[in-house]
Amino acid sequence: MPVRTPHFPDLLFGSAARLRHWEGALMGLLANHGYRELHPSLVLREAIPEGALRFFDGDDLVALRWDFTMALAGVLARGFPVPPPRVSYAGAVFRRPAQPWEAVERFEVGCERIQPEGESSEDADLELAQLLMAIPGVLGLKSAILHMGNAALVRRPLEAEGIFGDLAKEVVAALSRRAPHRVKEVLDGHPSAARLVAHAEALLSELNGPGTLGALATSPYAELLHEERRHMELTLRSLLPILPPNLELRVDLADVAGLDFYTGPTLRLWAPGAQQELAAGGRYDSLFPGLGRPWQAAGFCVRLSRLLDLAETRPDLFELPGVSPSHR
Amino acid sequence: MTHSTLLIAFPKGRLGDELVPKLAGTPLALDAEALKSRVLQIPTATPGVAVLLLKGADLPRYVAAGVASLGIVGSDTLDEMDMDLLELADLGFGACRLSLCAKAGVTLEALRAKPHLRLATKFPKATEAWLSREDLTAELVPLSSSAELAPLLGLADAIVDLVQTGGTLKAHGLVETAVLGRSSARLVAARGAYLSEPGRLRPLAETLIKALVQG
Repeated sequence: MPVRTPHFPDLLFGSAARLRHWEGALMGLLANHGYRELHPSLVLREAIPEGALRFFDGDDLVALRWDFTMALAGVLARGFPVPPPRVSYAGAVFRRPAQPWEAVERFEVGCERIQPEGESSEDADLELAQLLMAIPGVLGLKSAILHMGNAALVRRPLEAEGIFGDLAKEVVAALSRRAPHRVKEVLDGHPSAARLVAHAEALLSELNGPGTLGALATSPYAELLHEERRHMELTLRSLLPILPPNLELRVDLADVAGLDFYTGPTLRLWAPGAQQELAAGGRYDSLFPGLGRPWQAAGFCVRLSRLLDLAETRPDLFELPGVSPSHR
Repeated sequence: MTHSTLLIAFPKGRLGDELVPKLAGTPLALDAEALKSRVLQIPTATPGVAVLLLKGADLPRYVAAGVASLGIVGSDTLDEMDMDLLELADLGFGACRLSLCAKAGVTLEALRAKPHLRLATKFPKATEAWLSREDLTAELVPLSSSAELAPLLGLADAIVDLVQTGGTLKAHGLVETAVLGRSSARLVAARGAYLSEPGRLRPLAETLIKALVQG
């Protein structure tokens, strides 16, 4: 039996006050933009994934809420013939940690933007990006970085080459490590190896501002990804003029985290020197069709537990008066 | 140490012995006096950048947790540990094979034919993956050092271990019966540090690559 050290943090005065403050401020921001709160049950009886905290309630195996998006999608697909366009949430999710230092109970605030099939998604993506841009200010972060990616930049070339299943997972894992040499190893002998390695090198060549998109031109799949590039350029053109001070916008072409879930644009919020992203989101248009509803969806989640840890370890990154070592 | 001190993790042992001389005269040359001492945190020629000397098996943990922002480690260790790290480059040096080795005269076919095969190894994950590919089953005997002794003393039928020149195998009367994979030194980075501060880490990563791959 493996030895595990699950982490169930108790929040003492300073952290508890910070959590309450951030939760209220973020939910206020979302409410001001028309997002209405839904609060799915803490105990879920649906299909239970690996990693959830499970227990028996009589004869029924149930799980603690492990993911707000999945829980809300279930509620919406079951109970709403027409989806509410804007939904927000706040609370805790419970997941067994992949790394021993991660917490089991994690506090989150987030939102879902849901649209009927066929409606243009560009305005909704822009709306979510603008909301994420406002979040560092609400949290009192002195500076932050917003990474913009697109899951389709990897997904579509793999599909076009007929690469699915385990081989696709290995390619994605190599890209997640940002290791083009691993992509080469994984695809050794495959007819599309040279093309996909060149594509991986193009995706990994830059991690910078808007000029990064130019790297796509060197990819063998530049034509295939024309529409994604156009969408990213449009988003950048809209966001750059309204970028708040102390927020840097970077294009990350090799963002493959959550590729089995995301289908289009992705956004991740970092603070300089933070070890983990502080918020993440994107478009996941296959979620509701999988539940029998022809709806498109996108959203993001602010990881408050990571922010609480960061406030403890790096109070210098925050401007809030309550975030200093003397207030722990 | 302050937040502004950037730490790079170097492996002790064979890989470390190869890489330290390659950095002489570069901005990341290690302080010679500190190297002679028993200190494990060594200043470099670049102010604000220090090197941690760590055991290879511990190194990925320091980088994954963000304590060290960059590190150099063998791909065999990376594959065994499967930590959440970025792997920025194959540095090429420290190249060796991960091989199945048995006493001279024992063939792969003879090992395959054994009803209860016992393999001693420091690399259980890579060994399990190979067994699965070969549709074989075996009892794995986990060891952390001197695996060459296992077949000689009857602890196992064969070993899975790293082979560089083959000198150690020869000295123990062992031969390679199959190559399971290849390993070399890799430049790794902490995901958070690299993605949130590429402007700070990328020049250092490039200096290391220049010194170790092209140098």
